[in-house]
Amino acid sequence: MLIWILLGAGLGYAGARVLLGYPPAHGFRILARREVAFLTAAADAIYPDGAGLPSGPEARVAERLDAYLEIVPARMRRLMRLLFFLVEHATAVFPAPAPRGRRRFSSLSAEQRTAALDAWRTSRLFPRRLVFASLRALLTNAYVADPGVLRGLGLTPWAIDTPVCEADLLYPPIGQLPAAIRHAATSPPSDGTPLDPAAPRHPAYAEARP
Amino acid sequence: MSIPSVDGGEVRVFAQYERDLHEQADVVVVGSGPCGAVIAKELACAGQRVVLLEEGPPFTPDDFALDGAHSMARTMREGGLRATRGYVMPTLQAICLGGGSLVNSAICVRPPDFVFDAWCSEFELERTTGKDLAPHFDAVAAFLGVAPTPENVQGRRNLLFRDGCDALGVPSEPIARNVKGCRGSGECFTGCRSRAKQSMDLTYVPAAIRAGARVLTSVQVQQVHAEGSRVRGVSGQVVEPFTGRRSHRIRVDAKAVVLSAGCMATPVLLQKSGNLANRSGQVGRNLQFHPGVMVTGVFPDPVHPEFGATQSYQSLHFLQEGFKLETFWAPPTALALRMPGMGPTLKQRLAELPRSATWDAILSCHRSLGTVRARGGASLDPLLRWHFHPEDVRLIGRAMSVLAEIFFAAGAEKVIPGVHGLPDELYSREEARVLGTRSWKATDVTTGSTHVFCTTRMHGDPARGVVDELGRCHDFDNLYIADTGVFPRCTSVNPMLTGMALAHRTAQSLR
Repeated sequence: MLIWILLGAGLGYAGARVLLGYPPAHGFRILARREVAFLTAAADAIYPDGAGLPSGPEARVAERLDAYLEIVPARMRRLMRLLFFLVEHATAVFPAPAPRGRRRFSSLSAEQRTAALDAWRTSRLFPRRLVFASLRALLTNAYVADPGVLRGLGLTPWAIDTPVCEADLLYPPIGQLPAAIRHAATSPPSDGTPLDPAAPRHPAYAEARP
Repeated sequence: MSIPSVDGGEVRVFAQYERDLHEQADVVVVGSGPCGAVIAKELACAGQRVVLLEEGPPFTPDDFALDGAHSMARTMREGGLRATRGYVMPTLQAICLGGGSLVNSAICVRPPDFVFDAWCSEFELERTTGKDLAPHFDAVAAFLGVAPTPENVQGRRNLLFRDGCDALGVPSEPIARNVKGCRGSGECFTGCRSRAKQSMDLTYVPAAIRAGARVLTSVQVQQVHAEGSRVRGVSGQVVEPFTGRRSHRIRVDAKAVVLSAGCMATPVLLQKSGNLANRSGQVGRNLQFHPGVMVTGVFPDPVHPEFGATQSYQSLHFLQEGFKLETFWAPPTALALRMPGMGPTLKQRLAELPRSATWDAILSCHRSLGTVRARGGASLDPLLRWHFHPEDVRLIGRAMSVLAEIFFAAGAEKVIPGVHGLPDELYSREEARVLGTRSWKATDVTTGSTHVFCTTRMHGDPARGVVDELGRCHDFDNLYIADTGVFPRCTSVNPMLTGMALAHRTAQSLR
């Protein structure tokens, strides 16, 4: 009987730890709110405020990852979500520094999160370092994709006038019929004039006007 | 419904398929990457009825994603997240018309003669010396307009490499590329918006269409059909771009079948077709890579690394030792992955990107072998297993140490090696010597590779190889393979041009 009580209590605790107490998250198509909470916390630990660049949450890392997860194959999506789950709850096995270092990752203090991730990063065990590298890669992809970050780095793409070549008369945009081909003739090809680093950049990366 | 047509040829895209198809051809080519595209064009020009099948869609400039991760998710198989097991190493395979040529950096290098001499002596080949292949290299290079990258689009990031090599007395040279009119946008990996890169979708495929080839995109080939010592054709299904959702069935009967699905997909297709062409037991074996390692250098002054051809300077000086050095640029999302650390330190390093250059070494790891296996069920994604040989691990440190030396010789104030167990930043040549002297484990550093070889290797002895020197499968009269899987050993240099030259020779034998 005691075993059943302990088992029930354990399952109850696990269920509560995994599911309860996460703040609501709106507008996400793939990520659950527990994943949004985790990613926001991890992004803040890896990319905190400072250095003249937006923080991870300011760069909308969770939103960008949600969009990314939507386009990757289902098998990869499952692996990524498993990764989020693993790091969120691995504090039960690899606790962050006290106090209450075994709470789930997103419930830790900022200092504890930093310490927890640093332990993954510097572990002697390659699989732990691999987990950190994978998580950081996903967060970095999302973070550096932010136009504000790229503007801060001065690395936004150029505005480029694309010549029309023979192939552009053959292929419609993906998912459309040939009737969607919008060119009727080729234009002169690139003459190889080097781009000027001071030349205008792509409008999609321009600062939003108030 | 109108189908775009140029003088008899045509290209069909996903939105045009309305029912199952059954086609007839002289030759069906599976895969429109650099090798398949050469075969399709050469045979169509020779008057053969050619059907070229490609699983991916054609990408127009409107379809390019500027963001690196999104671009990879759209243009690469498995969302660009494929990795080997055993030693975990990311690797990529494109899924688009033109294959890897759409999203590679257009490097065209002829391997030195010693590479082909080793192929001939160790794999019982008689007609595959550098001299034998020279006319085929010449033909594809001329068609694509391969030329050294001009000085005015090198950018400081590439020229610093030259300066560092010059200071050390290490020979270096501008990289020859299949590019016309490069403007130095550094966007090779996400699709060239200047339309300067002469990728297969802009060159060989339109030429094939002009000569009458039928190009069916969004077709996943699932089976090669064989009877006795001959193959009869292939079959598969239409797949929706990006989702991979399958719909109409396609069958192409042909007098000859050429598999150019890529070194990781061709063996899977053979295995899924009843373990075809595998009397030797070599299909899917001998998997080799050129693992790449990178070092980042930070300079006192702005480098403006976003300007300049993606990869346009190289040194072949260390090829005999086992590695090639070259410059590198990628979308900032990808480059940022190299920066070690986290928190404020990481952000500070990111802020140094405009003063940084990243160079890489590709390692010629012919001792490190692996396998390609088909997964269960309907999946055509390969299961890759590969291990670093200890002798090849030693190359990592040696190559990184040389790169660090070149950085300091070029005036870098520090280098960032990204090696576990070492300081994140090294500030002098003396400090960087540790790269060459320490005891290395392969897991100390993250490597990646897009150069993949040997899984259907060429061998003079049918018991030890899958294809002969012309790419014809030893087990079949009319089944050919034309991709980097036929290389008997890795090339030590970027493999696209070699694959195309071998494909050109295969096409000539089929005319």
